[in-house]
Amino acid sequence: MNTAMTTILRKHFHLLLALAFVLAMPLTMQSGSLASEVLIYGLAAMGCNLLLGHTGLLSFGQGIFFGLGSYTIALTLTRWPLPMPLALALAVVAGAVGAALVGWVAIRQRGTYFVMLTLAFAQMFYFLAYSMPGLTGGDNGLMDIPRPSLAVGGFTLWPLTSPWQYYGFVAVVFLVAFWLLQKVSASVFGRTLLAVRDNEERAGAIGYDLKLLKLQAFVISGAVTGLAGALHAMMTGIAPLASAEYHTSEMILVMTVIGGTGNLLASLLGSAFYLIVGDWLSTLWPRWLLLLGVVLMVISLGMQRGLWGLFESVWDRLRGAKHAKHATDATPAGTGDKA
Amino acid sequence: MSTASPILLEAVGVEKRYDKFAALSGVDLKVRANTVHSVIGPNGAGKTTLFHMLTGTKAVSGGRIVFDGHDVTREPDHRRVQRGMARSFQVTSLFLTLPVRENLRLAAQGTAPAQALNCWSPPVGARSRADVVARVLARLGLERHADTPVGNLSHGQQRRLEVGMALAAGPKAIFLDEPTSGMGIDDLDDMKRLIQGLKDEHTVVLIEHNMNIVMDISDTVTVMQQGRVLAEGHPHAIRSDERVRSAYLGNMITGGKA
Repeated sequence: MNTAMTTILRKHFHLLLALAFVLAMPLTMQSGSLASEVLIYGLAAMGCNLLLGHTGLLSFGQGIFFGLGSYTIALTLTRWPLPMPLALALAVVAGAVGAALVGWVAIRQRGTYFVMLTLAFAQMFYFLAYSMPGLTGGDNGLMDIPRPSLAVGGFTLWPLTSPWQYYGFVAVVFLVAFWLLQKVSASVFGRTLLAVRDNEERAGAIGYDLKLLKLQAFVISGAVTGLAGALHAMMTGIAPLASAEYHTSEMILVMTVIGGTGNLLASLLGSAFYLIVGDWLSTLWPRWLLLLGVVLMVISLGMQRGLWGLFESVWDRLRGAKHAKHATDATPAGTGDKA
Repeated sequence: MSTASPILLEAVGVEKRYDKFAALSGVDLKVRANTVHSVIGPNGAGKTTLFHMLTGTKAVSGGRIVFDGHDVTREPDHRRVQRGMARSFQVTSLFLTLPVRENLRLAAQGTAPAQALNCWSPPVGARSRADVVARVLARLGLERHADTPVGNLSHGQQRRLEVGMALAAGPKAIFLDEPTSGMGIDDLDDMKRLIQGLKDEHTVVLIEHNMNIVMDISDTVTVMQQGRVLAEGHPHAIRSDERVRSAYLGNMITGGKA
């Protein structure tokens, strides 16, 4: 089988897996809100993965784009009578614009200083949100965000009242966004990002404008994260100050790393693990986050391809197959220290 | 023959200072098209710094660089690639997790970097650059390893790919920074033939420590010492130049033949 065929099969394979995952959650889970949250943070982690796994950029600014999405949808739905899909689109644009600004400054540096710049932006955004209560509700956040049904000309197509009804909507948005991100990942652009991740010096030397590539990666990442923030705000009905906090960035990063940075679907795995296992553990032990620390240590020390890599090794062993790993699945060994 | 060909690259009074230390203090260089022009000199003479200036990897502190009729002094490296410059690195610098074919495709695509922003179409069809990649693979003798991740290649194969990356861009001028560094004796002849074959279609600027190779394949040799040009000329003239002999250990420059 030639590589192009394998790539195509692989691409659809992931989309099918995502579809199976989306269908399996309502069958196995009690809470529609938790299931929605898994998909929403899955989107945010994919946005983060595009930067970390594909480009080698460790960004602590993801919470900014998430918060921008939340605030934007809260403002548009509570203050202006905009149709909900349009409000969602605006949140995507807000995330993208925020990411363009943060990216434009942060990519001027590499390594530690790049990370510090994204961290500085995250702190600034938090205090900016805090000190503008007229716009963001300050400490209280924005509350009573409505969840209007999908309607055309007064005719309701899809009510979003119950958690599982909303899950259905989130699932469709998720699958479309995932398909689009898969396209990006397999595109000329996505493949060139891998070169930037592997070796920036050479990528520049063979003619690529690294800043432009990184900026575009940032914009796409910000758009997806803004979408996730908006969906989350609609789910909970509030856009809290907490979503602008540094903690959101950290959570998104942790999910991404736990899932694995080799491919985008791994991020859904990371989000599911973090939220579902966290939900379960929190009923057993209120200090469950300690255990999460242990999981992160295990992954950082010896399982750098994340849960996805673990499942893949188990799968390979079960099948006894020794097929060579696809290049993009190879451990991006330099990722951590490069970013 | 080589003197008849036009000047492709000209450096005038190129300087590079790091604080008070002058790595280059006014270097003039004229490289003629379709020749192999070697730059030699003891360690610390400024050869690699000069390379960085010529290819735009680092900015000059003074002087002027004209390439193919354009003043490129202020252009960064990725812009100079569009003008027809390509370089290899002294320390192997490749995309290690990506296959050989993908490395070359990326290098070929680098001449049209706007395409790299296309986030919709996968690199198939014309975008796969199959012709260029196949041609370079054949030239490097790496056809069998086309789908091997570069990190799994031997050192000699990686050194050849290092030259291939420059070649894939189809440049006017190829800058090779010690292409044989760390190579085993068995691989040297392959590399020598590879470089020699380049000057039909390209101009080669070469930094090299192996004097046998330099003296055999160069049309012009520039000798550098302490950030300046010490001497320049045909290999046989350089071999018998007194200043060069005293700057260098005699047997190093002559390959033990003198």
